[in-house]
Order: sequence, then C-alpha cells, then structure tokens
Amino acid sequence: MLSCSEVTARLKEFPKFEDMYLSLPYAPHMPAHMVKQTKEVVAIARKFNEEVARPRAVELDRKTHEDPDYMPWELVELANRWGFYSMWIPKMFGGKGYNMPSMSYFSEEVGSVCLGIMNVIGVHYLGVAGVMASANTSLSRRIIGDVVQGEKTGKPCLIALATTEPGAGTDVEETELVDKGKVTCHARKVEGGYIVNGTKVFISMGHVSSWTVLYAYSDLKRPSETSVGLMVKTGTKGFSFGTHENKMGQRVCPASVLVFEDCFIPDDQVLFDEERVRKFTKKPFREISQRYIDYVVAATRAGVGAFGVGAARGAFEAALKYASETEVHGRLLINNEWVQCMLAEMYKNVALGRLAYIEANYANSHRGLYKMLQLKPFYYYLLLMPQAYFDNVVAPLLEKESSQKLMGRLYYEWAKDADQRCCSGWGSLAKVAGTDIGITNCQMALELMGQTGLRQDAGVEKLLRDAKLVQIYEGTNQLNRLNMFKCLIAPVVPQARVFEE
Amino acid sequence: MLTTFKTDLKPFEDLANSFAAKELTKKVEEHDKYPFGEFFTGVVNKMYDVGFLGATLPEELGGIGGSISTLCVILERICRADSSAGGIIFTNALAQQIMLASGDENLAKKIFPKAKTASDFLVAFPSYTDPAHAPKLPDAVKAGRGYTVTGSLELLVLGSLASKALVPARTKGDTSYSFFLVDLDDAGMEKSEPVFTLGLHACPAVDVTMKGVKAKLIGEQGNGGVYFNKVSSRMNLAAAAMNAGIMKGSLGEAMAYSKERFQGGREIINWSEVSMLLAGMTIKADVAEMCVTQACLALEQGGDNRASACISASLHIHELACEAVTDGVQVLGGNGYMKDYGQEKRYRDARQIQALLGAAPMKKIDLVRGLAGLD
Repeated sequence: MLSCSEVTARLKEFPKFEDMYLSLPYAPHMPAHMVKQTKEVVAIARKFNEEVARPRAVELDRKTHEDPDYMPWELVELANRWGFYSMWIPKMFGGKGYNMPSMSYFSEEVGSVCLGIMNVIGVHYLGVAGVMASANTSLSRRIIGDVVQGEKTGKPCLIALATTEPGAGTDVEETELVDKGKVTCHARKVEGGYIVNGTKVFISMGHVSSWTVLYAYSDLKRPSETSVGLMVKTGTKGFSFGTHENKMGQRVCPASVLVFEDCFIPDDQVLFDEERVRKFTKKPFREISQRYIDYVVAATRAGVGAFGVGAARGAFEAALKYASETEVHGRLLINNEWVQCMLAEMYKNVALGRLAYIEANYANSHRGLYKMLQLKPFYYYLLLMPQAYFDNVVAPLLEKESSQKLMGRLYYEWAKDADQRCCSGWGSLAKVAGTDIGITNCQMALELMGQTGLRQDAGVEKLLRDAKLVQIYEGTNQLNRLNMFKCLIAPVVPQARVFEE
Repeated sequence: MLTTFKTDLKPFEDLANSFAAKELTKKVEEHDKYPFGEFFTGVVNKMYDVGFLGATLPEELGGIGGSISTLCVILERICRADSSAGGIIFTNALAQQIMLASGDENLAKKIFPKAKTASDFLVAFPSYTDPAHAPKLPDAVKAGRGYTVTGSLELLVLGSLASKALVPARTKGDTSYSFFLVDLDDAGMEKSEPVFTLGLHACPAVDVTMKGVKAKLIGEQGNGGVYFNKVSSRMNLAAAAMNAGIMKGSLGEAMAYSKERFQGGREIINWSEVSMLLAGMTIKADVAEMCVTQACLALEQGGDNRASACISASLHIHELACEAVTDGVQVLGGNGYMKDYGQEKRYRDARQIQALLGAAPMKKIDLVRGLAGLD
C-alpha cells in the first residue's frame, strides 16, 4: 500500500515510531533465556520477602523510631548473604551477571513489602551504575571486585553515590542548571590526585557503604565543565559522616550527610575527569558530563519507577486482604461493587506503572547503558563462559588502557544522541508514572481501610510514608517531567528552550 | 474567613493563634516524637485552662458555650501549627457532643463542672470509627441498675490520658448499638500502650479489652446510632476545619521556603512549575476555608440540606487536603521529607484526620442513602 520510503518517512514523523513503541521492535531481540532468569529472580524476591522482608519490615520501622540512630547492619549482612550486592553485576566484573531489567521486577516484588529494605539493596546499584557508566574499566573492576570479595568473606562492601548538596538538589542533575546553582563540593587538582572540600546530603546508605562515588567540581564557577568523579573509601582521612537524617519513611535505609575536609583522593581513584575523558573523545566535556548523568539516571529512574509500582502493589495487596476479610453490615467488603471497582482501579494502576518501567528497560537494553549486555551473542557468551575465564582472561584486558578507550568510545563517542534522549526520557517517564501511582494507591488503600490503615503495626501507613520519597529522589517528579519534555518532545520544537524561562 | 462573617468569633481565633504561637509552633517536632518521646502534658493542661477542651460545652457544664463555628475556628488555627493538639480538642468535643445529644445533661453535670484537671475533663472516644459500620462492637449486659461491657475496641483516642471513656457496645436483641460511659481505671479494663499510628502522634490512642467493665448507659438503650448521627455532620465539619488548618500551614511553609530556596540561580518561587504547585495548594486551601465557612453558616441558619452540606464539605476538604499536603512536601523536595520541617507531619496528619468518624467511602455511601431516604 505504501512504498518503503514512505513508510520510513511516516515513521519518522513525531512521535517517532522508534521512540514510542519500544517493546514491539525490541522484544523479539531479547535473549529467550532472560525470561527464565527473570522468573528465577521474581521467585528469589518472593522467598526473600517471606523469610526476611515481611517478618522485619514493620518491626524495623518501629525500631528506627525508637532509636533514630539505628543502622541496618543486620539487614545489609542478610542481603549480602543472599548475594544481592553482586547479583546484577556483569560476570566480566566478577558479579553473578543477572540481566539488568530483572532488577526492576525484583524491586517491585521487594518494594511491595518494604521500600526501605528494597533501597538497602537497590541504592547500591545506583553506585554501581555510577562506577560502570564512567567507562573506567580498570577502576570499576577494582571497586566491584571489593563488592564481590565482600560477599565471599561475609563482610559487605556497598557503593553509595553522592551528588546532592545542601544548596543544590535538582541543579546537580542537569548541566544546564548546575552553573547557576549553589554547588560547593570542590575537588582541587594537586600532584597525584585531588583534594576535596565540601558537603553532600541525603546520601542513601552513606554510613554503611564502603565506597562512595563522589561527584565534585574542580572549578565551582564552571561546574558543568569541570565535574570530577572520584571513588572515596570510607575511613579515608578527611572524609567523615555528619548527621543521620530523620526521614518520614524508608527509615531503615539511612540518608547520610557526607563531609569532606581536605580529603586527598589519589589519581588511581579518579573515576573520570576531563583529562581521562580526552583519551577517548573530543566532544565538549560538558556534554560528556550530561551524558554520564543520563546513563546513570536513565537506568536508575526506571528502577525507582519500579519502586513506586512496588508501593502501589503493596497497597493494593493490603486493601485486597482487608476487603476479603472484613465484614460490614454482615457482608464482606469485597462483595460491594464500589470496593471491586476500587481494587480494579488499583490493579490497573500497578499494571500501567509496570508497563512504563518495562518500556524504559527496553530503551536501556537496546539503546542505553546496558545495551551491550543485552545483545544476544554477548548475552549468551557472558552466560555460558565460566567465571574463571572472566577472572583470568577478561579481567587483565579490562586493566588495559585500550579497553578503557574502547569502552569510552562506545559510551561517549559513538553513542547516538537520539538513543540517549530516548533512554533518558523514558527513564523519567517510568519514574513519574510509577511513583505517582504509588501515592495514589496508598491513598486509596488508606481510605478503604479506615482506622485499620492508620496503625503502624498494620504496615499500610508505612507504605504511604515510604512512597513519598520516590517522588523526590532521583530528581523530583517535576524535574523528571521537564526532562521528559527536553528528551521526548522539545527536539521537534526548535524554538523550545528548557531550563531557560 | 469565618470570623469575617461572624466577628464575635474573632477573640477565639486570636486566642487560638496566640496559644499556637506560644505553646505549639516551636516544639512541633519534639511533641511529635511521642510515643517515643515525652508527652506534652503541660500543653494539654493549658488547653484545659483556656477552655479549648470545652469549646462547645455549655457554660453551666464548665465549658465556654461556643457553637460548632467556635470549635471550627479554634481547630483551624490550632491545626495550622500542630494538629495533634487539635485531635485532642476534637475527640473531647465529640464525646461531649454525643453525651449532650442523648439529652442526659445530668451525667454531663456530674463530670465536667466537677473536673479539677484536664484528665478529669477528658473523655476518651474511638474517634476513627462510625460504630454503625464497625465489624464488631463490644457486648453490653444489664447488671443491676447499670450495665457491664465486655469486648475490645481499637484506637480509643485519649484512652491513656482520660479517666473516663464513651464506648459503643451492643445489647442483645437491639438492632442498633448504645453508648456507655466507662471508667478507664476499672479492674476489668485492659489498656495497651499508646498505638503508634500514621499521624497525630501526640493525640494518643490505645486498644482496650474490657471484661465485665461497669458501664453507665448514655440516653436510651439502642439509640447510640441516633446520637452519633445527630452530631456526625457538625463533627465531620469540625474535622474538616482541622484539615483546612493543615492546608494553610502547609501552604505557609511551602511559600516561605520557595522564597528562600535557590535553584538554577533564582528563588524556586520564580520557576513557573513551582508556582503552579503553590497555586494548586492556594486554590485548595482557599476552597477548603470557604467550604468550612459556608457549611458553618448553613448549620447555624438551618435548612434542609445542612447535614449533607457539612458531610460533602468535609469529604471534599479531606480529599483536597491529602493532595495539598503531598504537594507541600514536594515543594520542599528532600527537605520536605525530613522531620526538621513541618511538611512531612502534615502529610501524615491530613490522612489521619481524613479517617476521623469513619472511612471516607462509607461516608459517601451513607450520604447518598441518607439523601435518597433509604436508611
């Protein structure tokens, strides 16, 4: 009916086919084994919920109110024992190499019981993403090696990521904004490394992490052009923890204040800076900085969307249980039409939120951070080759300068802008969609359950408290809407300007 | 706004404002730590001294003889600062109103005018339920000239502070329930530790188990639902006034923060999306205030639809409040989620207040059935 060229032209019209239908073209390219592996991940999550999360969620939340300085050491040790801190680390870096999208399903499952416990596991991968997206394969191998070693020895090694500052939250997530923001974390280049001064706030799991990916700036007057990524080991001279924030929810997962006072970080712990980046690209450093941020958040925001869906599902399941067991005027609540419609609405919300993060995962799998890992040949190569091969043959290659240049070029020189925009936009979309329905469903559950829902020991009110945070972290939902506009809409409106009103 | 139409209420508004500023505002976070911190007994005693605990109680019974409008004005202003204090005022007023609705003033005369302390004056009540919809109520049995009550009740508000409680219980053979006054120190009364709940932490509630607790019937047997319904519409309005106050408090903090916090080189209020959030909150808070005012005026002037107007206003305000306080946290970003600021408490308290007098969907069903004459 239409010529091939006309079909191609039509599909390029806004919204572009390739940006609006992600699962349709990409699902057939998905390695079939991913389904089997994802089923296993969901089963593991459910077992963990039954044995660890559900029996502890409410009790730990209460404990954190009794003792605001409580730290989840026991939980971290348990998660470490279950192997969660290396589960989604690629085998070539020594991890178990489970497929990255499966983590979203895991997040929904565990998040449906306790977002705080999920974050004790999940936010480590924000740090992992921060390490891996740097294309610094040598340092990545070393840091992630510590994580893997931590599982073997039973001494957990977690990675935190520190960007937010007391006077700058939204600003640090966009190079367009950061130059106008009030950033203060300064990394001064000195012989053999950097000296850091400044403070970071709201750093999830900071106190209990062994390594922190620190995002600082070598020139505070030009932060967008001078960002520096540093790996800071807990215990380093000049690095200390300030207050442990007193949050409304997700209390089992501490939010830390990190203080740097003349803290020296040696060159071999520099994840990226302009000097390193110049080895693999000549693109403006500011552009590379934004791309690095986008790689990380495109993946992690889809994950936060799954957290929100988890909260929505937890609320739905609590409401379903309550309605199935509670009689009013001699009739079970669940046998009222309005209750059935309410539960159906909540179920719909969960399903739509899930579809959003699945689509975002397709974007990341085929056009984003873990694109390479999802290519069928490479996927099966990683799956089937024994770990010893990666440890003995691949690991030395990762140390080589040529490997780092190759990774750098793959991620920053050859990657397409359109792919970057698609992944970043969909990450934001999934984040906003999932987290908003998290609040919606928690609200509906509370309304249905009346006074039962108010009790901390019933667990539902905790879901509502926990869920609010996911509308805020990884960029407020307002920032994410703007990012969606910037990435998915503005490119077709040449006169549109974002962050410039 | 209500005091614009009813200037005689202005002194109560001023009193509540000054009380909040002096006793509540600076210690909200500290008071909210309960039950894991100290209870603000001194504040409750002062609320008793200034008459807030008897706002709608006739003067001859030891109250200040105010109308429901008086109560709404006080609650709105107090809840701008700390709605836990509002919850205490509300619950006591609710118990008093039900006792008065029964027509048995003698009983009230034996309690309130003789009270020497706040504890004597307070009457605990299960404020988060409409007993008609409760899956199960305690049983009451006639015993001599009185009754005994056996069974359990959840979230008996003020149960750890008051010496008496007004409890619903069913007597055999009756289609409706009855209200009974019980002594919380009765040997058959078992009280839990204060239950940790979503919000209103300093308005404590306990679970109670009663085994043959001596009880005095309020009004007539089987008429509990009648008395509850008599006061329900106006007390729902009072609960709405609490959330209207919370919305004003949330808006005030969001406005102040947005004028101080910088992002992208300017105060965040100068970013239009933040302005839209603030505009949404302003609209909701203003509409809530207007709804409370109009419903109070409708109540005082009488009219066929005054009861449904109160319930409708109440349900609408609670929904607005839950949305507004969510945005109130959002404007402050990460800071809004921390206990150093007031927004997270309002986020919790608004939902807790929404549950006063029973679950919202059940109220909606009742509203329509009542209007259609089906009950």
